[in-house]
Amino acid sequence: MASLLQFEKVLMKCSCDIKSPIINLYFCKHCLKLRCGRCVSHEVDSYSCPNCLENMPSAEAKLKKNRCANCLDCPSCNHSLTTRATSVALTDSQSPDKKMTKKVYYLACGLCRWTSRDIGLGDKETASGGWEEHDNPHFERLNELLEFYHQLAIKEKNEREQKKFNKRRTYLRLQEKYFSPGGLATRRKASFLNALSSMAPKTDEPEITPVKLIEPKEEVDPLPSKYYTQPLVLEKVTTLAQRLNRPEFASSQVEGLYPRHKHLVIKRSQRCRECEHNLSKPEYNPSSIKFKIQLVALHHIPDVRIYLVPKLYQAKESIVTILLSNPSQEKMETELEAINEPPSTGLLTVPEGLLVLAAKDITAEFDEKTADTSEFKDNPEKKSSETSQGHIQFRSGHKLGVLFKVTPQTSDSDVVVCFKLKYKYHNTSPSLRTPVEDEEKPDAVWLEHEVEINLGATSP
Amino acid sequence: MEALNVVVNVAFVLEKQSFINLRLSAVPDSDPFTMPLFEGLSAGSEKSAVILDIGAAYSKVGFAGEFGPWAFVSSKVKLSKTKKEVFVWDYSSEEELFDILVEFFHLLYFKHLLVNPKDRRVVFCESILCPTQFRETVAKVLFKHYEVPSILFAPSHLLAMFTLGINTGLVLDAGFSETTVLPIYEGIPIIKGVQTVTVAAREIHRNLAALLQDQAVLITDGEEAPLASKMSSLPDTVIEDIKVRTCFVTNINRARLIQQSILQNDESKWPAVPSSVEYPLDGGSKLVVTGKVREVACEVLFEQDMEEKSVATTILDAILQCPLDMRIPLAQNLVLMGGTSMLPGFAHRLVDELKELLSKPQYKDRLAISSFKVHSPPSEANYTAWLGGSLFGAMEILSYRSLSREAYNQAGKVPDWCSLDDAVQEAEVVPKERSSMKQLEALRKLSLEKSSAGASPTPK
Ligand SMILES: Nc1ncnc2c1ncn2[C@@H]1O[C@H](COP(=O)(O)OP(=O)(O)O)[C@@H](O)[C@H]1O
Ligand SMILES: [Zn+2]
Ligand SMILES: [Zn+2]
Ligand SMILES: [Zn+2]
Ligand SMILES: [Zn+2]
Repeated sequence: MASLLQFEKVLMKCSCDIKSPIINLYFCKHCLKLRCGRCVSHEVDSYSCPNCLENMPSAEAKLKKNRCANCLDCPSCNHSLTTRATSVALTDSQSPDKKMTKKVYYLACGLCRWTSRDIGLGDKETASGGWEEHDNPHFERLNELLEFYHQLAIKEKNEREQKKFNKRRTYLRLQEKYFSPGGLATRRKASFLNALSSMAPKTDEPEITPVKLIEPKEEVDPLPSKYYTQPLVLEKVTTLAQRLNRPEFASSQVEGLYPRHKHLVIKRSQRCRECEHNLSKPEYNPSSIKFKIQLVALHHIPDVRIYLVPKLYQAKESIVTILLSNPSQEKMETELEAINEPPSTGLLTVPEGLLVLAAKDITAEFDEKTADTSEFKDNPEKKSSETSQGHIQFRSGHKLGVLFKVTPQTSDSDVVVCFKLKYKYHNTSPSLRTPVEDEEKPDAVWLEHEVEINLGATSP
Repeated sequence: MEALNVVVNVAFVLEKQSFINLRLSAVPDSDPFTMPLFEGLSAGSEKSAVILDIGAAYSKVGFAGEFGPWAFVSSKVKLSKTKKEVFVWDYSSEEELFDILVEFFHLLYFKHLLVNPKDRRVVFCESILCPTQFRETVAKVLFKHYEVPSILFAPSHLLAMFTLGINTGLVLDAGFSETTVLPIYEGIPIIKGVQTVTVAAREIHRNLAALLQDQAVLITDGEEAPLASKMSSLPDTVIEDIKVRTCFVTNINRARLIQQSILQNDESKWPAVPSSVEYPLDGGSKLVVTGKVREVACEVLFEQDMEEKSVATTILDAILQCPLDMRIPLAQNLVLMGGTSMLPGFAHRLVDELKELLSKPQYKDRLAISSFKVHSPPSEANYTAWLGGSLFGAMEILSYRSLSREAYNQAGKVPDWCSLDDAVQEAEVVPKERSSMKQLEALRKLSLEKSSAGASPTPK
């Protein structure tokens, strides 16, 4: 329970130096380093519609402009639209007495009550609709422009190739050109380029069809007089958000709002930038919340939590209980080392020597008594002659409560203590590392991470 | 013959677009004589580039060759470190900006674009007054963190020309925090002519908020009370919504009458007031937005400030900075873009203001122009620059013009783009004036200072 509230209180330093709560960290088993959302590389893994949960391959997603072909959003409030069926009476022109009904479909928003009938869209005879799509109002002109620039680009490209062929220079010569200070060289180069291009043979080049010029206008449409004379019906005027939803069709009147296809969502995978291995890869199925790969730090490195903090007073030593727990199914040796420098605001003394965490026994999770901890004779409380105070508060399964001595050095800000958490990491799947490494190193290595704990404010 | 001229001219744009090229002249692959580093990548099957326009209020994102952005995204992000929502442009240090951009681009790539950053080139639409620090940080984040293959930094004003297929024009961009004008002649930006005022959407919002606070009545359960007595301020989103849905830019005749009425404190001079509207607020109360407020909120655009500058004067001042023979062509090729230019009545009023200003002493005998013509790009004005980026990004020569990751890594920064200066020099538009680059830097600083010195520093 406590972890829910305090996960921001215990921060671990990632290999990129940014501190994050352990739940946000990845552990790369290949580099044996912590990684966080900021230093991994994110990639789009799969596309799906959040409404119908249909998967979509990436090429198709681009083709459909990242939108689902089947689901539509309300143009007024962005809620998903539903298709409603209704019957309409038909009158047969031949036999006006005969009553016929036909099933028709229209779109409706369950939230704001917008319907496709509001904007005069005709009802459809099939449930899947086939609702009208709109082209950009300047579609033709834009295609002309695109084609024109395409031709120009081809022309330039060809000229470039030609020049490259004619005038290939040595790398050295070029280097001297680029990195010489001042713009002189460039300018000369550019005029040279102009000169050349005007002389370049243009024999087999296709003629470029120019794009026609649309004349600018001297007369600009004045503001319609209705602005001064007619009442404004606010409900009929679209909001900016509604306009920006469909920028190409921005309508200032609600009648001009058309439904929009639902935007897709993606699942992301995360990759270690150093070794390029995946740190997290979700399952393809859009409704699954599982992962194919997930190297979260919580599964690999000891978790540190605040267990008990007494009232803290400035310059007075207090004993704080910290809980260490072992995520692995092998016992884990740990060692702590205080870091008494900023951002630390309390003098910290941590237990010395090895602290051994018992293996996590998954089967014993709910029955702590079965865990055999008798082999650990690490509690010096019993040897009270050596240390005035023990440093082990309790041991329970794979968890260990240790005592930190903290002397707050501040009264007006939170007491923060920092330490190095060192632990012997057992690589449970050694095949992941290269054979060379395996020869040199055993499958257990000492690793360390910096931990920062915020113990809260001091009492006056 | 006429048609041929157009080709030549536009080809000239492209050649001269090499200002973009020149700008990145320290990049090996922009040299006409070497093998482009990206030749492999640019062959045929290359994935379409990502087009980003990161506005002060809204960012437009999508893909090259598309006719509209796939998403308008509010330019803010919730930082995972502080859990605070911040505006992208609201940064106090480079480190902070870096963090903001890492998270914001994550949002753009994995929530909206749904593609892997590594796989696609980027066309980054930027204001010509974009601070160097911002551009550098964008490059750092995209190249180092997201490992994009290349970036083309493209000035928005020039991109607008691509949507029209013209190479001479005076482009006005009225966005969120400022209005900027740039004359472009035969494809060459006349840096000397850049004009900017910090009057745009933000200033309208500020004015509207003040007017409402000062005058508006709130109706709660049938009881009327001054807004100010109930609420100390309205949320920014509400202010923007009120502007978008109820306000308009009035015509020049009414504006003059209103000015007289205010100056002479004579209510009877005020032209017939448009209808007022009851705007529902959260919690069931209604705000009365009067016709007067609806009509005067946007007047800040055309009121001259202490330096006698307004949105309209920027255009004439820009033309004044250009040689005589350019002035008529520029005045005949106005291009208006940016969300603020979409206010109903904006274009008409602007042209009327320009005509009136022509008779004022400071312009009368100096300008040698008598009429204006306005282009209509094949887009809504709030994504015109983006569309230009999309058209440019679809050309096969994108790789030649872009800054590659290799080149960036080699240089360690975005290479000097003093070449914009070169381009200007080369055409001998501003002979013997080596200082235009410095001017630009100075201008940038000035606009930065101004926007931060403004009454309300940042959008919240
Ligand atoms: N379709 C629209 N209708 C009315 N106003 C709009 C529209 N689109 C944008 N705006 C207004 O324009 C302003 C931003 O314009 P934009 O050009 O996107 O600025 P920037 O690029 O600086 O963010 C916004 O404050 C918004 O109120
Ligand atoms: Zn990290
Ligand atoms: Zn769907
Ligand atoms: Zn709805
Ligand atoms: Zn790794």
